[in-house]
Amino acid sequence: MKDIARQSMSIKVESMDLLNGQIKMEAHASATYLAMASWCEQNGFFTSAKFFYKQSEEERGHMMKIFEFLVDTGGNPVSPEVTNINHDYSSIVDVFENTLEHEVAVTKSIHNIVKKARELGDLATERFLDWFVLEQVEEENTIRDILDMIEVTGTEGVGLQMIDNQVANWIE
Amino acid sequence: MNVIVQTSYYTLYQSAKERSFYVDFGQKMVRMSLCQLLALRYKLMSIPIENHFDGDLNKHGFEVLLLCNKEHLLVLNTYEILDLKQFVEQSFMALGLSVEAETVTI
Ligand SMILES: [Fe+2]
Ligand SMILES: [Fe+2]
Repeated sequence: MKDIARQSMSIKVESMDLLNGQIKMEAHASATYLAMASWCEQNGFFTSAKFFYKQSEEERGHMMKIFEFLVDTGGNPVSPEVTNINHDYSSIVDVFENTLEHEVAVTKSIHNIVKKARELGDLATERFLDWFVLEQVEEENTIRDILDMIEVTGTEGVGLQMIDNQVANWIE
Repeated sequence: MNVIVQTSYYTLYQSAKERSFYVDFGQKMVRMSLCQLLALRYKLMSIPIENHFDGDLNKHGFEVLLLCNKEHLLVLNTYEILDLKQFVEQSFMALGLSVEAETVTI
C-alpha cells in the first residue's frame, strides 16, 4: 500500500499542534510589544518605543518562520486569534521586567516543544527549533542587559530619561 | 480502495490510484486530500463539545460542519461528533502521522 499520507506531510500532527500554539504565542508577543511601544510613546520614552516597534516586528517574523515551516512540511498553519493584550504598566522598569517574563515564558514553551518532538522522534521539528533555542538566549540576554543598565543608572532625577536614551544601544 | 479505519458511523479509504482519500460519512462519500483531512481535524478540535451537555450553550445538540472549501455541509448530532472525533484521531494514527494518544498530551 502506498503511503500517501507520509508523502503529503513530513511531521507529526502533535508537533503541528504545538507549533500552531507557538505561532499564537509569537503573535501574542508581537501584539504585547506593540502595546508597550504605545505605552512608551504616551509616557515620553521615545527611544524605548522604537525598541519595542522593532521587537514587535521581530516577533511577527518568528511567527511567520513557523508558519512557513508548517507550509513546507505539508501541515495546516492556523492564523492565530490574539486577545488579552495588556496596555497598563506602572513604570518603564515594569515594562522591561514584563518583557523579560514574556521572553522566559517563550523560551520555556520552545524547550517544551523540542522535548516533545524528541519524544515523537520528529527530527525535522526538533532541528527546525534549534534556531529558536539560540534566538531565545539572545533575546533574554538583551533584556537582562537593559535591566542591568536600569539598575546601574537608577530612576531618580534624570535617571529615567538617561535610561531611555541608553536603550538606543540595543537598537541596531 | 483500501479500508484504513472504520468506526460506528464513518469509514476512511485510501485510493492509491488517485493518490487521495475517501471518507464515507454515511450520508455521502467524500473525496478528501490529506490537507482536507487536516482541516477537518482542526475543525473538530475547535468544537466545544462540552456545550452539548449544557442546554443553554447548545440548545439543539447539533454541529454544522462545512468541508472541502464549503463543497459539503454536514449536520451532526452529539454522538456523531464524538464518533467523528475518534475516527479522525484513529485515522491519523493509522496513517502514521500521529502517535498514540496516551503517549503525548497536548
Ligand atoms: Fe519570538
Ligand atoms: Fe522574543
